[in-house]
Amino acid sequence: MAQAAGLKNNKWVRLAGILIVVVLLAVAPLILPEFANQTVARIGVFAVAVLGLNVVMGYTGQVSLGQIFFVGVGAYVTAYGVNNDWNIVLVFLLAILIPGIAGLLVALAAARLGGLAIAMVTIALPIVGVPLAKRLSEFTGGSQGTSARFSDAPEWTGLFDDQWQLYIVIVIGAATFLLTRNLVRGKYGRAFGIVKSNEAVASSMGISPYRYKVLAFTIASLIGGVAGFLYMVVVQYTSPETMSFGHSITLLASMVIGGAGSIIGSLLGGAYYVLAPQLTNLIDPNLTAALQGAILLLILFVLPGGLVSLPRLWRRKRRGARPGDPAQTGTVPTSPPPAPQNTQSEERGT
Amino acid sequence: MGTFVQLVIDGLSAGSIYAALALAIVLVNQATGLINFAQGGMAVLSAYIAYAFLQLGLPLIVAILAAIVASFALGAFIERFLMRRFERGEPDTAIVVTVGLLTLITGICGWIWSYNNLQFPSLFPLDSINFLGAVVSVRSIGTTLVIIGIMLLLQLLFLRTKLGLALRAVASNPQSASFSGLPVGRLLMAGWGLAAVLGAVAGALIAPQLTLTPGMMDTALVYALAAVILGGMSSPIGVVIAAWAIGILENLAAVYVPFIGYDLKIAVPFILIFVVLILRPQGLFGRKDVVRV
Repeated sequence: MAQAAGLKNNKWVRLAGILIVVVLLAVAPLILPEFANQTVARIGVFAVAVLGLNVVMGYTGQVSLGQIFFVGVGAYVTAYGVNNDWNIVLVFLLAILIPGIAGLLVALAAARLGGLAIAMVTIALPIVGVPLAKRLSEFTGGSQGTSARFSDAPEWTGLFDDQWQLYIVIVIGAATFLLTRNLVRGKYGRAFGIVKSNEAVASSMGISPYRYKVLAFTIASLIGGVAGFLYMVVVQYTSPETMSFGHSITLLASMVIGGAGSIIGSLLGGAYYVLAPQLTNLIDPNLTAALQGAILLLILFVLPGGLVSLPRLWRRKRRGARPGDPAQTGTVPTSPPPAPQNTQSEERGT
Repeated sequence: MGTFVQLVIDGLSAGSIYAALALAIVLVNQATGLINFAQGGMAVLSAYIAYAFLQLGLPLIVAILAAIVASFALGAFIERFLMRRFERGEPDTAIVVTVGLLTLITGICGWIWSYNNLQFPSLFPLDSINFLGAVVSVRSIGTTLVIIGIMLLLQLLFLRTKLGLALRAVASNPQSASFSGLPVGRLLMAGWGLAAVLGAVAGALIAPQLTLTPGMMDTALVYALAAVILGGMSSPIGVVIAAWAIGILENLAAVYVPFIGYDLKIAVPFILIFVVLILRPQGLFGRKDVVRV
């Protein structure tokens, strides 16, 4: 055990690990079949969306049921900009900025009420968002939706479209993940953590819970906008259905199942979002919603830390089974479940 | 003038439905400190249960009463076997549990009864009467009166009976309540059961209007949550008044404000919330929470 931990903390081993991941990400799109590339790209898109939700919910402890709304806004802004032939960099920036401003406005009002009010206000976002998108048909194409093709592979690359799209998702997604990881590990991340665990303590330390809640929510919406842009890169089509209430709930479920308050958990959450419906559809399409609810409840009962806490649980179990280690025996199965947000930082490293 | 009165009374009827659901949410919140996002889903399930009893050939009123009894049991069951485990933990986790429950219940309803719209008969005749020069549907008046009656009953239960006293004791301080010998667990089950009953009434009253679908109450839930925020979590009367105000205002806005119209009227309560939260963060009638460190 000590050896494994030592190995993990060794600088060179970590560097080598990162190098392997980078090489894998660079090579994989070239060798994977088209369908796999598209699936991986979609996983990347929703991993970014889950990551945004994690900033406000996993790290700051504010339940948000409206993250999908910001993904939808980002997608619509992208479609509108592309269809009006704006510069793609400008489109990208606007696709992040506009959801961010929307998120800031919502948070300024919602965070004023303590506790659960953010959840109660944000549930309205997808429910108001869908008819709003239908109404603003000049911008959104109404209930028909709107499509925008701008992510076909350029001639000079010699790549197929799916490979080019996956590269875009990997580059932008990796940058988002890296920036977010640095954010939650630094000064702001610690402030978020205090706000989450005890608001009174936070304010006694000079950390305004209100300001940090608004900040976290705004960052989550910015990241939602990134996910919306990437969504258009991969899917090239969006409609009001993109930001429906059902999708918003699935996104929340993905975050909890992947592992709240965890970077790796966000990746697993993205994978769950994309793969789980395909699996449940195989069983019985009519059962999809019921199964998803059941899976979420099951995870909350048996694995409140999400999938990302599996290796830790396994390690602790093994240590607990060893004789002469009284501190560990019996703590895992009987202790009350910790909040799903509690994930130790050791699991967050790449 | 006629249209105006009609709109107000229809709004009052819709507002009563939101009020019933909002009261259910407040009831659970006062007892356990969490927000039950599955309250609307549970109400839909109750309506489907009533529908199933109807299919068995029971008369409508008996079917609804049977569904109400079943809902009480269902609410108590959910508290005991699902929520009990999360009640003492983080409220965030408990909220996610209720969201999972909402998905599960909606999915089960869709699986058993399909996602197609089902016709649910109305308790009230579809006639309308003349009132102050306006044509008002009997259904709107009936719905409002039924909900007001139920609120009065609840008020009696909470203020005039031993059970009500015990429920209030558990809500205000579960630990002292259990020290004084109250069966806190069973009382919490009763609280959840009562909330489910309120939802069942709301579901049975709104189903004829919207037709029965698994997602029928999603919008009503959002309105109810808006009423809870506006009225303040700690004030049942405030919540009811807020729900009525929302019902009336959204109806008026749908007709008199051209941009809003029928499709965007759901935005009305949230514009209200936005204004209220900026001016009066504890809700219109609520008290400010004071946290002791």
